[in-house]
Amino acid sequence: MVKPSVTIIIACLVTYASGAADSLGSTRIVGSDAGPKGLFDTLVDAVDGDTVLVTGGRFDGHIVIDRSITLIGQDWPVIDGGGTGTVVTVSAPDVTIRGCVIRNSGVLLEAENAGLAVGADRVAVVGNRIEDVLFGVYLRQADSCLVRANRIAGYATLAPARRGDLVRAWYSKHASIEDNVLEEGRDLIVWFSDYSVVRGNTVSNARYGVHLMYDSDCEVSDNVFIHNSVGAYLMYSRRLVVQGNTMAYNRGPSGFGLGLKDLDDTDVTDNFIVDNRVGIFVDNSPREIDSSMLYKHNVIAYNDQGVRLHASVERTRVTINSFMDNYEHVSVPGGGHAPRVEWYGNYWSDYEGYDADGDGTGDVPYRSEKLFEDLIGRHPKLRLFVYSPAIQAMSLAARAFPVVRPQPKLIDNTPRLMPYFTSRSRVIDKRSALPLGAACVTFIGLGIVMGLKTGLGGNVKGPRERRRGGAG
Amino acid sequence: MTIELRNVVLLVRKEVVEARRNRWVLLYATVFAVLSLALSWMGLAGLSGYGLSGFGRTAASMINLVMLTVPLMGLTLGATSLAGERERGTLLFMASQPLTRFEVLAGKFIGMAVALLGALVVGFGLSGVVIAYYGGTTSVGQYVGLLGLTFILAMATLGIGMAVASLTQRTDTAIGVALFTWLVLVVIGDLGIIGGSLLADVGISRMFALVLINPLQVFKLAAILTIRGSLDVLGPVGVYATRAHGGSLLALLVAVSMVWVVAGFCVSYGVFRRKGAV
Repeated sequence: MVKPSVTIIIACLVTYASGAADSLGSTRIVGSDAGPKGLFDTLVDAVDGDTVLVTGGRFDGHIVIDRSITLIGQDWPVIDGGGTGTVVTVSAPDVTIRGCVIRNSGVLLEAENAGLAVGADRVAVVGNRIEDVLFGVYLRQADSCLVRANRIAGYATLAPARRGDLVRAWYSKHASIEDNVLEEGRDLIVWFSDYSVVRGNTVSNARYGVHLMYDSDCEVSDNVFIHNSVGAYLMYSRRLVVQGNTMAYNRGPSGFGLGLKDLDDTDVTDNFIVDNRVGIFVDNSPREIDSSMLYKHNVIAYNDQGVRLHASVERTRVTINSFMDNYEHVSVPGGGHAPRVEWYGNYWSDYEGYDADGDGTGDVPYRSEKLFEDLIGRHPKLRLFVYSPAIQAMSLAARAFPVVRPQPKLIDNTPRLMPYFTSRSRVIDKRSALPLGAACVTFIGLGIVMGLKTGLGGNVKGPRERRRGGAG
Repeated sequence: MTIELRNVVLLVRKEVVEARRNRWVLLYATVFAVLSLALSWMGLAGLSGYGLSGFGRTAASMINLVMLTVPLMGLTLGATSLAGERERGTLLFMASQPLTRFEVLAGKFIGMAVALLGALVVGFGLSGVVIAYYGGTTSVGQYVGLLGLTFILAMATLGIGMAVASLTQRTDTAIGVALFTWLVLVVIGDLGIIGGSLLADVGISRMFALVLINPLQVFKLAAILTIRGSLDVLGPVGVYATRAHGGSLLALLVAVSMVWVVAGFCVSYGVFRRKGAV
């Protein structure tokens, strides 16, 4: 696949260079004490190719950029919408906005109030802080735009159903959405925007980390989607690349790390999919008869269900993935198995075979067949008993006396013995383990003192005489 | 009834000293420490290098280990200690002292609880050091919470063990009944509820109520709640419990466990007061 982002980046660099070059336009400086009127007048006076440099300050009001200028903020000038409407509207192509704080949009979903609304091509929004907004950056029929390295935070006080999308591309082809940090919004959503790239973003406490609708030839790579309702939900699209993302702790009502609905020809590779309710949810993908799906080099760990797919899924290859400690590695709703999915060369943490010839591949096939999983599939409320010794005893008995052996959900004839870890995924900030260590050393000390101290009880005397003489 | 605190403290110290000399207690403490150490070691060969962790093997196997060993410790210790002393006549000697029966029994109970706490603290401490050393992401609060819940479970089973001892005549019988009780709590009870719910259509709320009877399951629920913040890993019943009881769920679970502690102690006290030390 040709990477569409390359052309976009070049286009944006040219845009930026042309905006900054004095030969093409003049630089107009707005001081921090200019006030809203100063900024608005400068924007009205500017002509295509000019650069407007704002050196700090606070500007209350809504601004419209209707000519191809570069707006640069120094020392974080604040453009404050006062809680109404859309704060900054860009209606001219080739505009660049960087280094600004844009905040306090309105909260009307039906009016789609946004921090920054873009309605023209080749606009670059780089390195801004967009705070307390309903929608963040809204690209509306704006092709080849760049949204990079912005921090965008929605109104945390709004109920999830009242929030807007922190980045939304609507009929905006070749959009590049890169290295942004998004919090407290609805989705990062790309609608009808082919050849778009969503790369290196971190999205947390949102509804869907990324949501693709009706897009072709798009890339979702190297993002971190944590603590959302759903990590990534990709729908009705073709030829996607989903690579190197981390989808962790997504546990909303559906709680998918990665949801794939009606997709075709999509490669899901090198992702870390950890501790979601469902790691990968496959819903009618592939859809078309001539398309296929590939899942490779993913780490799928600690999810309640690693992969959930229907028995009808076909033309799908699942290979060199690491299935680690999912309560259920693979779930087929309604029982049964997925006979037309090819499983080969995956690591399964509950594999009980051996590798006599030492080639790293187990010599006996991995068969996923657990009596209790089978029971849970049919009676979900029995999930209450997971992590109980009784269940272990039951599985043990079922293996020893296979009268009630369930049908295997899958068979991997060449299971790996060691998990495969891709080097592609990003490391999330780690918590310091020092307090736990210190606390536990204290525990041990306490235990030892308790053990020794009581042994030194040389001064054990008889029970004290009761003055009132009330003996037991 | 007057309670002389000094006498109780004295009996607690005597009980701890005896527990320290008791080979069973030492064995349990060692087994618990070694197993928890090994489990935390094995379970950490995971994703902590990537800053990711989950309710994986470490947490699940710690819960399972606690559910298997701690009730065994509590039940057998409670059963052997009371029944053994009765058989050896030391309980009679104790009762002949200027002590109330409540003081005697409270001293025994608290002393054995302290001994169990010592064993648990060492086991948890060792495995916690391993978890911390290998960069596990468990928080201190959760870990201490888990220890606390384990201690409550230990006291609940200790109480049941003492009740068993007071209701049986001989030490051998007491141990046998205690072991059978352990089997019921660990395996048979759960399998019964699973089988029953498959035969009869037991509703979600009733299933949750049924499971609350078993102090082991109560411990499991509370432990998962402490680690995860909700019971959603337990499927529909877990989601129901989280929704229905919300913020007071942990308090409810702890209260249910404490009911077992108090009930076990009260039964053995009632019998001891009525029957005396023979």
